[in-house]
Amino acid sequence: MAPAFRALAGGRVRVQLTPEEAEVLHGLPGELKEVLEVASPEVMGRLFPPAYHDPEDIEREREYRGLMQGDLLRQKLSAVEVITEALARGEVRRGRWTVILSPEECTSWLHVLNDLRLTIGVRLGIRTEEDWQMAPGDPRAPHLALLHYLGWLEESLIEALRAAEGPPAS
Amino acid sequence: MRTSASSPSAPAAPTTTPVREREDEDQGLLSPDIPWIVIVWNDPVNLMSYVVFVFQKLFGYSHQKATRLMLQVHNEGKSVVSSGPREKAEFDVSRLHAHGLWATMQKDR
Repeated sequence: MAPAFRALAGGRVRVQLTPEEAEVLHGLPGELKEVLEVASPEVMGRLFPPAYHDPEDIEREREYRGLMQGDLLRQKLSAVEVITEALARGEVRRGRWTVILSPEECTSWLHVLNDLRLTIGVRLGIRTEEDWQMAPGDPRAPHLALLHYLGWLEESLIEALRAAEGPPAS
Repeated sequence: MRTSASSPSAPAAPTTTPVREREDEDQGLLSPDIPWIVIVWNDPVNLMSYVVFVFQKLFGYSHQKATRLMLQVHNEGKSVVSSGPREKAEFDVSRLHAHGLWATMQKDR
């Protein structure tokens, strides 16, 4: 498969997908937004884990949560807006769905792709490496396939971001 | 604590106490400067390349150092990725959380 993301000049990145892939992606930011708004305890527990490890720091944890959770949630929702807008802007050219992202948009795409993967991981009950192995015919298989696909996309975006930055610092 | 309380000359002549010694004493007694450490825990969903990318981006680590830390998380279940005063540790944890990494902080003891 051709890479989905390619670095261009100026830190921009071109996204090229099949129209079918673009169709799949179109619905996902809205689903993530819904998940964030519904705020189920299991998803929230993964996206907003406790900061303080020791039980004795429970007061500090409460304070941290009060200060940060709203901010983190707003950041996530704003990234969803950015990706939604870029998806709406894309168009099919010579059979490939294409859109060009600014460096800032790339950051939002990375965050949304990662949050989607974490959320789907929670939904599928993936808590250990072994949980990735599912029996043939498992009803969760389509979602597992989506999780693999989003991982492939994210990997491609990270490679493009590294290429856009230039050679990595040694 | 016992040492300074049992010394009758200490309250009467504070100016004779060398400043450095007092600081050392305070650290030992009140522990205000025990650093906090930030730990990233292994999780089965985040991509290895993503975790390396985030360590480099947030902490300015080299690719080599970021990769070493990521492998430690992966193989040993966790890794200390930064340390410092509580406020700094909290800031680092919040940025790691914003990037979807499973991070916690605790006193380094």
